[in-house]
Amino acid sequence: MRRLSLAFPLLILLAWAAGAHLINNEFILPRLESVAGVLLDPLADRLGTGSLIENALRSIERVGMGFLLAAAVAIPLGIAMARFRRLNDLLDSTIQILRPIPPLAWLPLSLAWFKIGLTSILFIIFLGAFFPILLNTIDGVRGVKRTWIEVASTLGARERQILFRVILPGAAPTIWTGLRVGFGIAWMCVVAAEMLPGTTSGLGYLIMYAFNFGQIQLIIAGMILIGLIGLMIDTLFRKIEAKRFAWRELER
Amino acid sequence: MKIVKILAVVACCAVLLALAGCVASTPPVQSGTTVGILYTGFGTMPTLMATKQIDGYIAWQPFVEVAPMAGFGKVLSYTGDLPPDAVWKNHPCCVLAAREDLMARSPDLVNAVTAATILSTRYVNEHQEESGAIVADWLAGKGNFTYGNISVSSVDAMTRAIYTVKFTNEPTDAWENGILKFMAAQRDLGVLKGPLSNSTDDASKALIFDTGPYRAAIQMLEGKRIVTPAPETRQLGIGYLMSDHDTALFVAVKKWQYFNDTYGIALKPRDPTQSKPDLVDLLVNGQKVAEIKLVPGEFGGPLMQLASTDTIQFVLVGNPPAMASIDKGNPVKILMALNTEGSGVVVSSDAPASDWPSFLQWAKERSDAGKPLRIASPGKGSIQDILLSYTLKSSGVTVKEVQV
Repeated sequence: MRRLSLAFPLLILLAWAAGAHLINNEFILPRLESVAGVLLDPLADRLGTGSLIENALRSIERVGMGFLLAAAVAIPLGIAMARFRRLNDLLDSTIQILRPIPPLAWLPLSLAWFKIGLTSILFIIFLGAFFPILLNTIDGVRGVKRTWIEVASTLGARERQILFRVILPGAAPTIWTGLRVGFGIAWMCVVAAEMLPGTTSGLGYLIMYAFNFGQIQLIIAGMILIGLIGLMIDTLFRKIEAKRFAWRELER
Repeated sequence: MKIVKILAVVACCAVLLALAGCVASTPPVQSGTTVGILYTGFGTMPTLMATKQIDGYIAWQPFVEVAPMAGFGKVLSYTGDLPPDAVWKNHPCCVLAAREDLMARSPDLVNAVTAATILSTRYVNEHQEESGAIVADWLAGKGNFTYGNISVSSVDAMTRAIYTVKFTNEPTDAWENGILKFMAAQRDLGVLKGPLSNSTDDASKALIFDTGPYRAAIQMLEGKRIVTPAPETRQLGIGYLMSDHDTALFVAVKKWQYFNDTYGIALKPRDPTQSKPDLVDLLVNGQKVAEIKLVPGEFGGPLMQLASTDTIQFVLVGNPPAMASIDKGNPVKILMALNTEGSGVVVSSDAPASDWPSFLQWAKERSDAGKPLRIASPGKGSIQDILLSYTLKSSGVTVKEVQV
C-alpha cells in the first residue's frame, strides 16, 4: 500500500524526464532538473518576489484565515438550515445559484467591494471553502439518527443539550469531511485570490508573476509546491478523521 | 447503466467540440493580404513564439529586447519607427493621471508628486545604465529570465531596453494631439461610448487633460521652492504597471535619498530592503506629508477601476485605458507624459523579414498560401494593438482577429 502510493508519482517523474528528453524543448516541457533546481533552492529570491518558502507561508496563512472564516459561518448556518425547515426553504435556492459561480468570477467585484488587500483575498478563499462545508453540515445534521434524538428527548434532554451532546457529535464526521473538501477547494483558490492587483506575495502571486515574464520552470515549481502542501494538509485531516471518528466505521 | 449514459454524452460532446475546432481553425480565404491578430497578454509571447504558435508579436519593453537576447526572435521595428512617414515618431505611451477630487482638495500634494516624477524622469535620462539596473531590481530582483535553455540577465535586458524608451513629461501640443490619435482609434474600435465618443478635439482635451499640476511643478522646480502640502491623514495609493515605462516611479523610490537631499522632495520606502517596495512616505522639505501605497497591475484597466473607487489616487498607465475610463465617468485627469515610444514588433528568428517592406512581402506570401501570419498583441485596444492595426491597415493589409 505504502509502496504503491509512492510508485505512481515516481513513474510520473520518470515519464516526465523521458518526455522532456524526447521533446527536447524547454518551452513545452522543461527538464526535471531545471524545475528541481528551483524547488531544491527554496530560500533563494525569485524575481524579487521573495523565496518559495516565504511565499508558501503567506499563502498558507491566508488560506487558513479564509477557511476558518468560512467554517465559522457555514457550520452554524448549516445546523440551523438542517434543523429549521423554513430557513432551509428560504435559503436553499439562493445557495444553489451562488454555489456554481467560480470564485475567479468574483475577482472584479471583490476588488470593488473590499478594496486592495487581505479582505479581498479572504473573500475569494471564503467563497471556495464555504459551500462544501455548508452542504456537508446540512447533510451531517440531517443524517443523525432520529432514534438518538428521540431517546435523548425522552430522557429529558433540553434542546441545547440535544444540540451539543447528540446532534453535533453525530454529525461531526460528515462535517469533518466538509471541512476537508472545503480546505482543498480553498487551497485551490489561492492562485485566483492572489491574482488580485496589489498582492505582492504568495504562491499564487508567484505563479502569476512568473507568467508575466513567461518563466515556465518557476511556474511548475510553484504548482508542485501547491500540490505538495495540499497533500500534507489533507493527510493531516485524514489522520485526525481516523483517530477521532473511527466509531463511524463501527456504526456501519 | 447511468455511468454508461454519462460516458456516451461526454464522448458525443468531445466529438462535437473536435469538429467545431476543426471547422474554426480553417482560415477563410480572402483576397489581398490578411494578417491574423491574436490577443495573448505579455507573458505568454516568448513561449508562443518558441513553440511556433505565432510568427511575431508586438509588446512593450523588455519583451522586445529579450527576443534577440534569448534567441527566439528578432526586432523588426521599434514602434517609433513604424510606417507610414514616421507618423508614430514620439508617439504617446504611458501617462501620469490623478483623481480630480484630490487635485481640488490638496493641489500642493498633487503638485509635489508630479514634481517628484519630473525630477526622477530627468534623472533617468541622465543615468540610463543605473536606471536599467533599478528597473531590473524592481521587476525581477535582478534575477535571470529563463527562456528555454537560455537565461537572460534582467539587468542586461532592462538596460538595453531603457535606451529604446523615450522618457519625457512635457504635455506638448504634439503629444496631446498624439493622444487624440489613440482616441480616434478607440472610437473606431467602439470602446468609447460616453462623452468622448463624439466630442470635438477641444472638448476632448478639456475632458482628458489637466496640465495645471505639471506647470505648477515646473514653476516650483525653477524657483527652487517646493511648497510643503498639508499632511494627509488618509493613506493614498499610486497604481503602476509592471513595465519599464514606469521607470520614473521606480527610480524616484530607489534613489529617494538623493532626491531628498538635492531637492527636498522624495518618495521614501518604508522597507528599503524590498526589491518592490509597497509602501512609501512622501517627504517634502524633510516633512512627512502622506503615506502612499504602491499598487502594481499587469494591465491599465484594473488600475483605472481602482482609481474610480478611490482606492488609489494616482495611476501610471497607458493612455488608452485612461481615456476609456474617463469616458465612462471616472473622475480622473491625465496630468503629463511618462514616456513616448518604448514598444516594438518582434518576429521569429527564422522569419524572412528584416524591415517593414520585407515583412509585408512575407505576410503576402503566407496569406496567398492560405496560412496568414499570426501576430500576438497584448490586448484589444492597448497601445500596441492600436499601433499594429493602424500600421497594417495603412499598408493595405486586412487585419483579422484570430478566432480560436
